[in-house]
Amino acid sequence: MLRMVLRCCALLAPVIIFGLAGLAAADDAAPLHAQIDKLIEAKAGGAVAGPATDGEFLRRVYLDLAGRAPSVEETRAFLADPAADKCEKLIDKLLAGGDHVRRMTQVFHVMLMERLGDHAEWQKFLTASFEANKPWDQMVREILSPDGENETTRGSALWYTKRLEHYGENPVDIPGMVRDVGRHFLGIDVQCAQCHDHLFVDDYKQEFYHGMLAFVGNTTIRTDLSFPAVGLKPLDKKIEYMSVFLQKPEAVGPKLPGGQEVEIPTFAKGEEFQQPPDKKTKNPGVPKFNTLKLLGEQLPRAENQLFTKNIANRLWWLMQGRGLVHPLDLTHKANPASHAELLDLLASELAAHQFDMRWLIREIALSQTYQRSGVLAEEALPQSYRAALEKPLSSEQMLASIQQALGDGKPLAIDLSAKSWTDWQTRFDKALANPAREPEVGHNPTVKAALFLMHDTTFLGWLKPTGENLTTRLIKETDAAKVADELYVSVLSRPPSVDETTAVAEYLTPRADHREQAVCNLVWSLIASNEFCTNH
Amino acid sequence: MIDTKELLAKYEPGKNVQTITAEPQVRLARYSPCGKTLVAGGYTGQVRRWNVGGDSAEMPALTGHHAWIDGIAFCGDGELLFTADSWGQLCCWRGYAAEQPEVAWKNETAHDGWIRELAVSPSGQIVASCGSDGCVRLWNVADGSSVGLLKNGRDVLRLAWLPDGTLVSGDDRGIAKHWKADGTVLRQFDASSLYTLSRLQDCGGVHALAVDREGKSLAAAGLIPKNGGTLTGPPTIIMFDIATGEEKQRWKLGADNDAFVGDVHFHDEGFLSAVCYGTPGAGKLVYVAPGVEAPFFEKKLSNAHSLSWHPDGKRVAVVTTGPGSNGNGRPLDKEGNYKGNKSPIQVFTVPG
Amino acid sequence: MNYSHLCTPHEHALSRRQILGAAAGAAGALGLGSLLRPAIAEELKKKHKQVLFIWIDGGMSQLESWDPKPNTTFGGPFRAIQTSVTGVHVSELLPRSAKIMDKLAIIRSVHTKDNSHSAGVARIQRGDPKNRGVTYPFFGSAVAKLLGPGDSGLPPYVWIKPGSGGFIHGDAGFIGPKYGAVAFGDGKPPENLVAPPEVPPHDADERAALQAAANARYAKGRGKEMGEANSYVYEVARTLMRRQDLFDSTKFDPKDVERYGTHEFGRHMLQARKMLEAGVTFVKVNSYGWDTHGDNFNGHLSLMPKFDQAFASIVSDLDDRGMLENVLVIAMSEFGRTPRINGHIGRDHWPEAWSVAMAGCGLARGAVVGETNEQGTYVKTDEYDIGALFHTWFSCLGIDTKKVNYDNGGQPLPLAHEDMHVVKELLA
Repeated sequence: MLRMVLRCCALLAPVIIFGLAGLAAADDAAPLHAQIDKLIEAKAGGAVAGPATDGEFLRRVYLDLAGRAPSVEETRAFLADPAADKCEKLIDKLLAGGDHVRRMTQVFHVMLMERLGDHAEWQKFLTASFEANKPWDQMVREILSPDGENETTRGSALWYTKRLEHYGENPVDIPGMVRDVGRHFLGIDVQCAQCHDHLFVDDYKQEFYHGMLAFVGNTTIRTDLSFPAVGLKPLDKKIEYMSVFLQKPEAVGPKLPGGQEVEIPTFAKGEEFQQPPDKKTKNPGVPKFNTLKLLGEQLPRAENQLFTKNIANRLWWLMQGRGLVHPLDLTHKANPASHAELLDLLASELAAHQFDMRWLIREIALSQTYQRSGVLAEEALPQSYRAALEKPLSSEQMLASIQQALGDGKPLAIDLSAKSWTDWQTRFDKALANPAREPEVGHNPTVKAALFLMHDTTFLGWLKPTGENLTTRLIKETDAAKVADELYVSVLSRPPSVDETTAVAEYLTPRADHREQAVCNLVWSLIASNEFCTNH
Repeated sequence: MIDTKELLAKYEPGKNVQTITAEPQVRLARYSPCGKTLVAGGYTGQVRRWNVGGDSAEMPALTGHHAWIDGIAFCGDGELLFTADSWGQLCCWRGYAAEQPEVAWKNETAHDGWIRELAVSPSGQIVASCGSDGCVRLWNVADGSSVGLLKNGRDVLRLAWLPDGTLVSGDDRGIAKHWKADGTVLRQFDASSLYTLSRLQDCGGVHALAVDREGKSLAAAGLIPKNGGTLTGPPTIIMFDIATGEEKQRWKLGADNDAFVGDVHFHDEGFLSAVCYGTPGAGKLVYVAPGVEAPFFEKKLSNAHSLSWHPDGKRVAVVTTGPGSNGNGRPLDKEGNYKGNKSPIQVFTVPG
Repeated sequence: MNYSHLCTPHEHALSRRQILGAAAGAAGALGLGSLLRPAIAEELKKKHKQVLFIWIDGGMSQLESWDPKPNTTFGGPFRAIQTSVTGVHVSELLPRSAKIMDKLAIIRSVHTKDNSHSAGVARIQRGDPKNRGVTYPFFGSAVAKLLGPGDSGLPPYVWIKPGSGGFIHGDAGFIGPKYGAVAFGDGKPPENLVAPPEVPPHDADERAALQAAANARYAKGRGKEMGEANSYVYEVARTLMRRQDLFDSTKFDPKDVERYGTHEFGRHMLQARKMLEAGVTFVKVNSYGWDTHGDNFNGHLSLMPKFDQAFASIVSDLDDRGMLENVLVIAMSEFGRTPRINGHIGRDHWPEAWSVAMAGCGLARGAVVGETNEQGTYVKTDEYDIGALFHTWFSCLGIDTKKVNYDNGGQPLPLAHEDMHVVKELLA
């Protein structure tokens, strides 16, 4: 029976003592994760949960950083490890691994494309970016101003091209695309800003939308290339609109919220292009006044607070399960950050570290706030972070974790190019992922997903005994205690409690004559349990 | 073998077009056999008439019908005009060229509901009517008494007489039948590609029908329906050999987003003239010749619904629809009243 | 400039917790959360009200149905027939509905704002309220939230439609995706409803029990919300499994099948009746293909009788079963069709003057409200937008829209357009 080993990061505890103001002067020198904890605890408003158990932490950090649950081997190794700094070592190991690249690629694919579609070039762009730990500002520049000449990054144009397609009878949704620029890269929903006439006093915010429209409204899909690519029609005048409040006409050129308006140069007719369009090859040419290039230069900058706070907020959400601003694209006066100072800190620190996302994720992972248990005696508001928040598993995490749990116990080697894997992922996405344009940010259980886990024959097939998979091992094992242990460690990444071990024995013993079916039932019930389907 | 060049030389509509604007709309227009009158029926229960030649002045409309007039036929002897409406009433008028023709006889319940077409037999003694009650009914021209009933079962949209006194009908499922006047079905013609069931809706059917002068060929026309709702599809004419029932040829006259062939006519010289209508503003007058794949004449017209050749062979009248007839909006005239649509009837002259 | 098209289904989830109320996922008795005062909640609990919402997509022509103008300029070819209510006529294409007009309530004075399908359908089904910067729920989602699922254990908002099924979150707008529609494509059960051979019933039961035990252990010391929501969907899944008869058309009485019509609309309406009999709160049935810009008259000649037989059958059946008192029946489109007949013998979109047919819970019987002019071009009497109908329908269901509001994170929002009110003449 494995003992519950107290989480090793208790070592960090002396640095952050509840309410010790005297350390304020030393704050600037304290590592970011320490500052995070100080700011969180200052606003906690009640008792906080203790540190997560080894098992809790292990599973959580694997899911968050590697996109899958840990294998039996990895679990047992970690639980048995006596080293005091094993948590930090694990974090570093996971951040350096291939699983992490896959995890980040999947997270950002879902975040930025919202299930609108996919393309091999886009995947290539994302994977290469995360393999190189490319800074976020550079990634955004490549997305907002795609470079068709760069073979590794050109797939970034999919962000635009999918949004420029027709859906059924509807015209191309340019307003939706403008809105998404704001939502994904600035954390604001400019379209809705116009409708909040009872929350916003001034006209200023209507300008946000039209100013951004000026940057991206003239984008077109290039039909002359075999990979996703965009062209741009020249912008020759400001965008005109009617002020909602003052009922007078306004006009604005390319302008970011809080930024300077870019003056639109005038060219003689025929002089607008630096590379003229070619009707025969259908090449749209490149205008001299390249608003996408300008957007790529102006938006992703350290000085742009909306930009820096947005990414900081999203990375916080990724690790903690809730944005400091929540929902993630809804910064406005009536929806302030739960911890404004903390958000500012994360944003400025990330900017100071050249938008190194891996660095920020590491800092968050090292914090006590992240490593807190999810169990707390009393109810607490999620935004207090007094206990770790439960996070739903994405469709990608579910497939990887189920495959990991039901497999031979060794760490999964996931080959994303294998047809079998992509077929499985498509099947899982159909049942578990949101429909297009519905952000996967919160918990959203569906009847469809429940029926999938109950009855999908592919998934149920994995429960049957084959090779050295979990079911086979459990059927073979005669010692009841060892069965319970192998089961819980494989599926839930923790050893079973005494009661749980007894329950397993009590279930299996009378069913000796149909042991295979009984084992399948047991395994299924844990996979379909809330504990498995949640990242807690 | 048909020489289309020769036909064109004789029948290509010239530049000279006379336009008679019918307001409100009409769908069906027919020249009288004497050639002096053009009679049209529309959506308002009125039978419209115009003098042919001279100023083409409109004569007083004949009243007494209801709703839509889809049946117009003549019997040369006695200057009889037969009209039928969508409420089932059949009327015989004497002296159709006079200012106020008299009603020779009428039958308010000739059919239960929509009468789709009328045709007078070659003998001049029977007027046949067909309609949504699934029947073709035969009436004595002199007094309107019933002389026959052909039960089709499905909505009969069109009918035509053969020179030998037999009839052909076309229904809403694209099935055409050759009948004897006593009700016997001699043969069926399968034009069911002119029909489809789309979700709940029965779409298409035989919307135009014509028989050649000798009674050897049958042309059934409509469209190949793509889907219901806003019904569209390529307007199509299918030609059958009457004796064998076999399809001999078909002509596709438009694109997927067009609509029906509204009317088709077998010219004595062996070619077919037809008119089509379609989604906003589309439509045409077209000539096809058996044995020739493509139409040998086409002229774009705005939503043409029917055509009628003048007995002198030198004129053809096509009922079209005015431009801008579509729209979800609320078009108002200068006085601010809700506007209906107009039907410009284009009269083309041909060398002959 | 109208900005409502800019607020897309990704709604403001500011306070979904507050809106969802105490038990987010509970299929509990009330399911009313913090919305209503206890007194009203108790009243509603007494008789579980239901809604049958028949959506005729594309625009049924009012001139070929409920408001005929025979033998007028724009009246079309068809005749009008008498109904079971003296002085009231409908198109000859509605013979069976004409016979039960005494059970129906028709409004002929509807004038709405949107003449497009893409925006219009959603606007109508959301009640086209004043723009408050949030996406309002479809009527079905609103009723699912306000009335709850009742005792059926079935989803509160079910949608029977041609084509594909699935879970339609977007319908729910700001009240939260949980109140979306569970759609059954062609009335078929959701994918994976039927247990495969490897999960025989005995094992299914054991799995359910083991799962519940695991969940109970996990729940200790944690917030209830996520766990309860997870468990709720399994409950609904298992209830749907027990009620497969709702999807098994071989179990339908052949006489019913003939009466309702063997076409897809007839089948779906018959299935809707079964869903209502099973206690589903809100059943929506869609029929597509009514947008007859071309060949409108042959189109309606074919379509209307199919609507007529199914509609008349279900209203009569509900009445026979004593259910009509508690079921609100609505049959409508997103607009009517133009009086003007266009160049391909069709009618275009006409939100200016059209009709909605209703029956049942809280409505007057045999009532015809409002009149259009002689030609059917405009409404002659008081005009009513869809907001007024929403007020009326909520009232029929026992909800006073003057007193009850949505709670969007402390911001009260009206259930229906705040400048409009119930149509008194429609109410019983």
